[in-house]
Amino acid sequence: MLLKQYLDLITYKVYADLQAEASRTYLSFLWWVIEPIMYMAVFYVVFGLLFKRGDGPEYIPFLLTGLTLWKWFDASVRAGASSIHANSYLMRQINLPKVIFPLIAIAQTTLRSGLVLILLLGFLELAGPGISPTYAALPVLLLVQFLLICACAFALAATVPFIPDISQLIGNVMVLLMFLSGIFFSGKTIPEQYQTYFYMNPMATLLESYRDILLYNAWPDWGRVTVIAVLSAIFLFFITRIIFRLDKVYPKVLP
Amino acid sequence: MATQPILSLKNVGVSYTHNAGFLKKSSYWALEDVSLELFKGQTLGVIGRNGAGKSTLLKLLANIIDPDRGTITRNHGSATMLSLQLGFLPALTGRQNAILSGLLMGFTRKHMEQLLPEIIDFADLQEFIDEPIRTYSTGMKARLGFSVAMQASPDLLLIDEVLGVGDRVFQEKSGSVLRKLIQSNKSVVLVSHQMETIRNMCDTVVWIDNHSTRRFGPAAEVIRDYLSTGAKPTSKQIT
Repeated sequence: MLLKQYLDLITYKVYADLQAEASRTYLSFLWWVIEPIMYMAVFYVVFGLLFKRGDGPEYIPFLLTGLTLWKWFDASVRAGASSIHANSYLMRQINLPKVIFPLIAIAQTTLRSGLVLILLLGFLELAGPGISPTYAALPVLLLVQFLLICACAFALAATVPFIPDISQLIGNVMVLLMFLSGIFFSGKTIPEQYQTYFYMNPMATLLESYRDILLYNAWPDWGRVTVIAVLSAIFLFFITRIIFRLDKVYPKVLP
Repeated sequence: MATQPILSLKNVGVSYTHNAGFLKKSSYWALEDVSLELFKGQTLGVIGRNGAGKSTLLKLLANIIDPDRGTITRNHGSATMLSLQLGFLPALTGRQNAILSGLLMGFTRKHMEQLLPEIIDFADLQEFIDEPIRTYSTGMKARLGFSVAMQASPDLLLIDEVLGVGDRVFQEKSGSVLRKLIQSNKSVVLVSHQMETIRNMCDTVVWIDNHSTRRFGPAAEVIRDYLSTGAKPTSKQIT
């Protein structure tokens, strides 16, 4: 029952790491809620109040929806990228399938983001348009984004041990991507000739889809969402195979 | 030969590549030419000076890395290194760390929970097992680490110089358990700088010198040659 063992290991490691992290501060797991709220407050002050983007009170649900789901992507990809590299001490002592390291990292950030998502849905119920039939598409979009996250995080996790310099770039690339994903503005407001390029960014398409279903009672562009899902799945399949093939190489390249 | 060896290495080499400055790579052979055989139930000693490649050899046997040349033939099941405090996190309790360590060694959670009373008892940590281990003394951590590691029962056990940990009393207790384990019908590879230990426990010995097998054979003969060539044994090496 090899699979059962690894599943046990992943769930327990996720639980243990989260608990270890919580025990480091006085407010412990409350930080998982406070920290994202502070993060969103910063952007609300800058873009909502100072720049007066958007028109009036509708801008807050627009901004928070984008930020919540972007932060899931951002945190997961960053944590996943360093995961194989960061566990070099473990893989020098025991033979483990290295693919479990990005999985553990993504599971942790996903659980924490899930908490924030529940808060967001509560907020939308109180201050936004509330539940509509298009909410039914939410699990599908979440699953597609999860595939996209895994594809990106696994690819980086697989490469960083060989080219550690990449981890220096990730921070800035993620900031650039954040501004290009339409968190602060709608893709529909940019000049038409750039829109094709804008929506090539899968996160831009996904964030707009989330807003369609959560805020505007509209169904997402299923064609684009399907393309993202299929490409992510194919990419993920190949990158997972590569990580398995390099299983015995990582302990050698990592110091 | 009547029986097949469970493990056999023929002219095995392992090379490491590392960054040596801007866009420069350099590689070196941590093991160049190693050959050895191990039969079921035997204990094989690995001796040699620091930097000879003994740790790399253990990683190879533990299936953590693959050889870059030569062949390894395995006829055994699982092979793991005896790792003390594997994956321990300071913020977790002794109980949680024991379970996590066991899961890393390949046990299921249920199995580890069944083993826990025995582990706690052996480590003598009854009152402290639900405290975070960052509050433990070095000796308490060592005791817990050893008790958990002892539960590992791979078909081939690889030991790197850990015979007895903790204070005097626990050292004797842990040392005797480990000795019993090695002398049982288990297949073991033991790396040690203590010639007395190797002489008492091992059937065969491989002497790794300058990244290659210098001598492989019955324990007494190899140790005699090793000591007589002026390769001074460092009697108490702690790594």
